[in-house]
Amino acid sequence: MLWYKAWLETRSRFLTCLATLTIFCAVFVGHAQGLIRPEWKTDYNRLLFVTQQFIVTMWILAVVLLGMGGIVRERAIGTSSLTLSLPVSRARLLGIRVGVGVLEAIALAVVPWATVFLVSSLARMPILISQVGFYVLLLIAGGSAYFAMAILVSSLVESEYTAPAVAFGLVLLTAIVFDAWLRPFNLWRLLTGDFYIDRHTYLISWPFPWRGVLASMSAAALMLSTSISVIQKREF
Amino acid sequence: MTDTPVILTRNLTKSYGGFAAVQELNLSVGSNRITAFLGQNGAGKSTTIKMLLGMIRPSRGEGTVLGKRITDAEENRAMRRKVAYVAENKPLYNYMSVEQTIGFASSFYPDWRSDFATKLLNEYKLPPQRKVKALSKGMRTKLALLLAFARRPELLILDEPSEGLDPVGIEHLLQMLVAQAAEGVAIFFSSHQIAEVERVADHVCILDNGRLLVDASLDQLRQSYRRIDLVFASAPQEREFRITGVERIQTKGHQMSVFASGNAEAVIERARDLDAVSVEVAPVGLREIFLETVKEN
Repeated sequence: MLWYKAWLETRSRFLTCLATLTIFCAVFVGHAQGLIRPEWKTDYNRLLFVTQQFIVTMWILAVVLLGMGGIVRERAIGTSSLTLSLPVSRARLLGIRVGVGVLEAIALAVVPWATVFLVSSLARMPILISQVGFYVLLLIAGGSAYFAMAILVSSLVESEYTAPAVAFGLVLLTAIVFDAWLRPFNLWRLLTGDFYIDRHTYLISWPFPWRGVLASMSAAALMLSTSISVIQKREF
Repeated sequence: MTDTPVILTRNLTKSYGGFAAVQELNLSVGSNRITAFLGQNGAGKSTTIKMLLGMIRPSRGEGTVLGKRITDAEENRAMRRKVAYVAENKPLYNYMSVEQTIGFASSFYPDWRSDFATKLLNEYKLPPQRKVKALSKGMRTKLALLLAFARRPELLILDEPSEGLDPVGIEHLLQMLVAQAAEGVAIFFSSHQIAEVERVADHVCILDNGRLLVDASLDQLRQSYRRIDLVFASAPQEREFRITGVERIQTKGHQMSVFASGNAEAVIERARDLDAVSVEVAPVGLREIFLETVKEN
């Protein structure tokens, strides 16, 4: 039932983000029919690359939003004593929240791209499933650090509005700092495929950037384990 | 039936910087009884309860609830399976309906009594489909109590359980507490409603400024506490009555009022030795005992 609770807590945020992303992708790609001409494939692939940039930006904002909540926020709204009186460990409470969040994050990556794939097929501008797979995998695996960062912030910052403000501020700050001085490590560019795109065909070239993705996942694991430690030590 | 303490603390202390919210608390709450935990706002009642449930860590000291150490996370989790807690603000998830809340809570307790929950749902007239956020304060309290009663706990910890209830609701609650105690459930509850406490409690603990000042059965308190009003021919000397058991002396002209937690006979004898014109001894209610105790402290 903790899964159900986590779902009830996040469903309105999740469904709003999912609908926004999906509708925008469908409309964006649907309007691309005007591009059809002999060299449409390159232009269309370029459009898909831009679409991925949009999806990545929206996806990051969405997972940060989904990472908000938990028992620290419950303390602010007064329900933490009910949750903490349940015969459940704090680690399990956090683990289930992360589990639900990860599933929602996966859906937020898969559904918009599935919509793009479907709309493209209906518009007779089929795209390679391998390209879709690449984009989705980059987003889910590489983007896990953003979700974990949101979980960590929500474990540290209590106030209902301060926590999202801090989390979104960190996203913006890291984007600026990494793009200006540490561009090869810029996670946003990793997720969009900017490092791997062929500028002539606008197709992403394999192999998959495992090193960058694993680094992001390691950072995510570290932040999640820190969150568990913080939650276990925290007083309510 | 054994009288092994369901709650036992030794020198339990919680400090925030230089401020001690709870100081050297030695509490022993017996099973099969209703124990009232009294104190002013900020006396340390909620802090104590939160320490017992593992929500905050003691700065010093130790304690057990149902034999499980409160500072051991795993033991505390196992203990919470057998303890029902209703917090002061009656926290409930606003986004759930009454029915969802009951379904959610029931999933954590194998001994959940569905029939009893349904009975209380009807008695309390709680609309199953209504969202918690749309419930009145009284209804929220009733729902919180339903969740506590239906899980068949060994220990009920209630923080201001009657807050928000109308007189009928309070009456029902008090009857329910007595019925639960009769079934063998230990009850530990805090309240500011002394009249309610007097009606149902077997044992009373009074906490003030984080210190336990009174820990006795209600019968003991009723038997030992006395107010002795004295009248003398001339102005009496207070020091003559500063003897063991005398908590407070008030003098006004030729009149003296002595509040004693025991040893009333010695006070009477001393008054007669000093040729008191009038000696009146009156039993003291719990309200007065509480007020005098915290005033004295």
